[in-house]
Amino acid sequence: MPLTRFLAPYAAVVMAAACAQPAPRHGVALEPALPRPAFTLTDTRGAPYEFARETHGLLTFLFFGYTNCPDVCPVHVANVAAVLHTLPFEDQQKARFVFVTTDPQRDTLPALRRWLDHFDKAFVGLRGDDAAVTQIMQAIGLPPAVRSVPGPDGRYEVGHPATVIVFTADDSAHVLYPFGTRQEDWAEDIPRLLRVRPRSGG
Amino acid sequence: MQWWCSASGKPWTWEPQYYPGVWLVVAALAVGFHALSRRGRAMGESRLVYWSGWSAVGLVWQALDWPVGPLAAGYLASAHAVQFVTLALLAPPLLLLAVRKPLAAGLPTSGRSGRMASLVTQPVIAGVLFNLVAVVTHVPLVVDTLMPTQAGAFVIDIAWLAGGLVLWWPIVVGAPSRAWFSAPVRMLYLFLSTLFHTGIAMVMLLREFPMYGIYELAPPWDAWTPLEDQHLAGGVMELAGAAVIFSIVTVMFFRWSGGVSGDVAPPPPPRD
Repeated sequence: MPLTRFLAPYAAVVMAAACAQPAPRHGVALEPALPRPAFTLTDTRGAPYEFARETHGLLTFLFFGYTNCPDVCPVHVANVAAVLHTLPFEDQQKARFVFVTTDPQRDTLPALRRWLDHFDKAFVGLRGDDAAVTQIMQAIGLPPAVRSVPGPDGRYEVGHPATVIVFTADDSAHVLYPFGTRQEDWAEDIPRLLRVRPRSGG
Repeated sequence: MQWWCSASGKPWTWEPQYYPGVWLVVAALAVGFHALSRRGRAMGESRLVYWSGWSAVGLVWQALDWPVGPLAAGYLASAHAVQFVTLALLAPPLLLLAVRKPLAAGLPTSGRSGRMASLVTQPVIAGVLFNLVAVVTHVPLVVDTLMPTQAGAFVIDIAWLAGGLVLWWPIVVGAPSRAWFSAPVRMLYLFLSTLFHTGIAMVMLLREFPMYGIYELAPPWDAWTPLEDQHLAGGVMELAGAAVIFSIVTVMFFRWSGGVSGDVAPPPPPRD
C-alpha cells in the first residue's frame, strides 16, 4: 500500500521516541550503566536481605552512610523522603530506599531502624561487617568508607561517598546523585526514573 | 574567627560564637544614635520615645548577633524572616522616632547632598527602593550566592536596615515636608509598601519544596523540616510584618480621624 509505505518512516520515528527511556535531568550520568548488584546483608528485623531479589524491577535508591553523620546523610535521606511522600501511593510502592550503614559498630539494628523511621518507616536499613560492606562498595565502584581517629570523647566520624545511586526498573543505575541534590531536582527526576521500563524478558 | 555571621555548613551548636563585625556595626549605630538622641531630648523628645530608640538599637544587635544571626545565615529561613522583620520593619521606625527632630533639622536642603536627600526621602522612591531591596534579597539565587560569604551576608543585613530606614523616613521624620503626603496618603504608602513582602511570604507559604538551597542543605535542625521552616518563615513575614505595619496604620488612622472630628465645632453649652 502506497500510503503505508509513505507513513512507515514517520511511524518508526514515533515508535522510537516512544520507546526511548526518559532521561533524568539532574545527577551525574553513569556510562556505562551500572547493573543492580547482588549482595546480602542483614535488615533491621535481623533477617537476611537479598538486595537484587528484593528490589528487582523497583526504583531503588541505594545510599551508604551512618546514623551519626551530622550533615550529609540526614539531609540526603530527608530530601528523597520528602519527595517520595509527594508521589501517588502506587508510585511510592514502586520505590525502595535502601540505606547501608558504613558504621556497623555504632549502628545497631534498632538504632538504624529508629533513625530511618524519622524519615520513612518503609525505608530499608542494612548492616554487615566492614569487610562485607567495603566489598559491595568496591564492586559498584565506590571508594570504601574511612573512619576518623576517635576524639578524646571516643566520638569519630566516617568518611563515605555522599552519593545516592538510583537503580531503575531495568535493573541498572544510569545516574547517581551527589550531595547538593535539591528536593526540586528529585521531584523532577523521580517521575522520569519511574517511567523507565524493565528490560524486555527481564 | 568570623567577623560576620554566614552559612558555614557545620552542624549547629549552642556554643556562643563571636562576631566582631556585628559588634562594630552595633557600636557605630549606638554612638550615632546616642549623639542624635541627646539632641532630640534637648529638642523636647519624650523619655518614652528616647528609650524606645535604644530598644531598637538592642533589637538590631539581637537580630545580627548570636544566636539569631548565625541561625538566619545558614540554618533557618524562619530566623532569616525574624531578622528581616526586625531590621526592616520594627527597628527603623523606633530608631527614627527618637531622633526625628535632629534629623529633620540637620537634613541638607541645598547643594548636591540636599538634592540627594530630597530624592531618597521622596516617598515614591523610598517605597520603590525598599521593595526592590526586599524582593532582590529574597531571590533564591541571590540568597544562596550571598549568604555563604561573610561579605554577602553583611550586604543583605545592612541592605534590610538601610531599606527600612528609607521606607520609614517619610512617615516618621517627614522631612522635607510634602503637602501632598497627607495622612491618608501615608497610610496608603505603608499599605502598598507591604504588598511585595507579603507576596514573598505567600510564595514561601505556598511552595511545595524548599526555595533556598542554604537552608535545605544545611545540617538538619531536628525540630522541623526545611519545608516546615520555610512555611514558618512565610508566616513570620506575613503575620509579624503585617502586625507591625497595620498597628502603625491603625494608630495613624485614629490620629487622623480624631483630628478630622476635632475640626468639627463642639456643640453649644446647654441653656438654663
